Amino acid sequence: MKRFSFIRILAVALVIGLMVVGVAAQEERVLVIGHAESTDSLDPARGYTQTTGIINRATYSTLVTFPDDGPGDILPWLATAWEISEDGLSYTFTLREGVTFVSGNPVTAADVVFSIERLQNVQGNPAFLADNIQSVVANEDGTVTFTLEVARPSFLSELTNYTFSVTDSVAIIENGGVSGADAAETDAAETFLNTTSAGTGAYILESWEPQVETVLVKNPNFWGDEPYFDRVIITNIPEAATQQLALEAGDIDMALDLTRDQTTSLTSNPDIVVYSGPSVYTHFLLMNADSEIGGIVSDPTVQLAIRYALDYDGYKVLWGGVVPPTNLTVGLFAAYGEDQALTRDLDRSRELLAEAGYPDGFEITLQYPDFTWQGVNMNTNAQKIQSDLAEVGITVTLQPAELQVALDQYRNGDQGFAYWFWGPDILDPIDVLSFLPGGKVASERANWNVEAIEDTELLDLIAQAQVETDPATRVTIFAQLQDKLQESSPFAPFNVPSVQTAYLADIEGYVYHPQWTLDVAILSRAE
Amino acid sequence: MNFGSYLLRRVVITIPLLLGITLVSFLIANAVPADPVTASLPSNALNNEALVQAFREKWGLDQPLYVQYFTYLGNLLQGDMGTSIKTSRPVIDDIRQFLPATIELSTYATFVGITIGISFGVVSAVFRNTILDYVLRTFALVGVSFPVFLLALAGLAIFYGELGWVAGPGRLGFRTDAPPSITGWFTLDALIAGDMDTFREAFSHIVLPSIVLGAFISGTISRVTRSSMLEALSEDFIRTARAKGLSEITVVIRHGLSNALIPVVTVVGLSYGNLLSGAVLTESIFAWPGLGRYMFRASTSQDFPAIMGVSLLIALIYIIVNFVVDMLYFFIDPRIRESV
Repeated sequence: MKRFSFIRILAVALVIGLMVVGVAAQEERVLVIGHAESTDSLDPARGYTQTTGIINRATYSTLVTFPDDGPGDILPWLATAWEISEDGLSYTFTLREGVTFVSGNPVTAADVVFSIERLQNVQGNPAFLADNIQSVVANEDGTVTFTLEVARPSFLSELTNYTFSVTDSVAIIENGGVSGADAAETDAAETFLNTTSAGTGAYILESWEPQVETVLVKNPNFWGDEPYFDRVIITNIPEAATQQLALEAGDIDMALDLTRDQTTSLTSNPDIVVYSGPSVYTHFLLMNADSEIGGIVSDPTVQLAIRYALDYDGYKVLWGGVVPPTNLTVGLFAAYGEDQALTRDLDRSRELLAEAGYPDGFEITLQYPDFTWQGVNMNTNAQKIQSDLAEVGITVTLQPAELQVALDQYRNGDQGFAYWFWGPDILDPIDVLSFLPGGKVASERANWNVEAIEDTELLDLIAQAQVETDPATRVTIFAQLQDKLQESSPFAPFNVPSVQTAYLADIEGYVYHPQWTLDVAILSRAE
Repeated sequence: MNFGSYLLRRVVITIPLLLGITLVSFLIANAVPADPVTASLPSNALNNEALVQAFREKWGLDQPLYVQYFTYLGNLLQGDMGTSIKTSRPVIDDIRQFLPATIELSTYATFVGITIGISFGVVSAVFRNTILDYVLRTFALVGVSFPVFLLALAGLAIFYGELGWVAGPGRLGFRTDAPPSITGWFTLDALIAGDMDTFREAFSHIVLPSIVLGAFISGTISRVTRSSMLEALSEDFIRTARAKGLSEITVVIRHGLSNALIPVVTVVGLSYGNLLSGAVLTESIFAWPGLGRYMFRASTSQDFPAIMGVSLLIALIYIIVNFVVDMLYFFIDPRIRESV
């Protein structure tokens, strides 16, 4: 009898043990993403890279956010409602109730104030995004009020950036965090925030081993919909070719950095889904408006001739994506679509050149970085620009330079005729003001300055665009600005290349987002 | 001169050498017409004078060059290699993270390179000017001249992608945890922990990159072995050995190879040092988190503390490798032993 009960107990224990092991093995849902890691820091006040965006999107929440599939409407997130003052200078947010951080601490207005002040005072890479915030105050009723230096219609769009993540002030202060004026010298919380996350996101940062992998685990305290995957591993695979092999072998679920020719070869594979859609990076020519630097290309008629000479469809064949009508990123609110882009017209281009006094063309040097960005090889494009312009008699000498060297010349406004690309920091049409007199690229890099502008209508439009908040009026203003840019500007945007992502066919819910690239919390696996 | 004073002299020479390295790498890094501020800050932040100023102050870039250099030296003497601008971590921590992966891979690769290189070289020399010699010499030529990243890509596509014989990128499967770190070598650490599954996995990951890098260095090794062997085999003592009736194997290996080894050891030492200072492209293709890629990132982002740290480390590696090679001369050649 005794022996029998012993065996029975053993058997039961064995069955339970097997069940536990079985359940554990079955339940751990893991997503492995292959990605060329660019993380500089995971501290929201310091990190400002594509990878930081992917990870902090999963581990933190911002007050407001964009829809899953792109920029546009502003949606409530940690804030449930907001009020904007008449003068557009102050924004008061009502915080969502009952939300707690990973630590269990409740989210309060004080945390919002701490996060913004720390962002400003740590003076890390993304601090410029908070330049326009004059103050942040926690009100007695639990709301929080932001006061701006100048009214900005894009302010809510700016707040969707992961840089404005709401962080756990109690936990961060315990780990050396400081938000005061001397935070740049005294804040010591970066190591803590590179080791774990102190936010309210769907995931918690379990570990980050630089250049190897980042591991996220589900946040049991998450206030929103529970994500599907228990664990997300973002493994660093710098080479696109290796990402493709690992995806085909099934070792990774998703490859984020494939080039266009790779995805073309993958489309025939039934086990793999390829996403290809326009990125937010506009590739463009810069023609310096200062005649001493730009020479012949500082002439607006020549600039227009060059815009007519480029083979827009050809660049699209090379890199996919869309043809940009202007430097206002296609896809943003009020931006012109591809149908409004210029089309190549060599006769018109030649006429314009003759009109400008160069019927036989001219010789010019094109400066650009010897660089490949998201699979787009700038050397290839430079060669194509050379052959496009040769058709209207312009002889281009190519002058590539190492990226950092070229960047210095570009940022100092020393380049006469140059090829660059641009991605908006703010997913709002206001970003295009960088390419208009008074804006950064226009004034500092192309020397297209307010003082030299005779078209007062243009200056009025720029002034209105900076403050107007009514959506319908904004559409009109930005339409006029885009018309002006097409008519006369020292830029020739020619391609917005596509981004490519490939993933195993059983992954569901993938959507590319220009702000945070990828939201791992909305992905799942077909069962 | 006894061995102790010889050793002491070597160590003393090392100090000015390392100082010189710091000065040269500091000057070269600063001579590049690029600014670490533009390399590190996002372009919008450059408009904000306060941010740029804070960045310069934080990294000491607002000081004159000689002050920057002597500050660096002062810190270095206290064992502080500074903090990397790019990773915001102490350079020493970064090196501690990336160096073991590189040492592990380089050692395996050198082992492969020696095995292939010396055996090809010896066979080539013994059967000189036969078809076999031509074939092996062609291999050596391909090994020397074929771009190593192409070899890496092709190897990965065939043996991982098509055939599935070896594991893919990285040091371990993406879902596998690293073994408890003792040596930093995943294969050894797994063995120490008695974890055979992890060992097999780590080994399967290191096989292909080792063969690729090994094949790359084997070309040089086999060419040097061949010519050195040809010289040794034409010496009088070989004829004497043959005349004594020794077997051909004994003649070639004991009398030929052991006398031909000195230049081979030199080449192996240099190749090993070369591999240890990082194989940027191979590491990238195999997603191998080693020193080469760290160094590449440091130099493209004008990360001075990291550039200086890695330069020093590489100098130190060469000094040590050279020292070991010299010690091996002692061991291999009794004439050198006696002359010292």
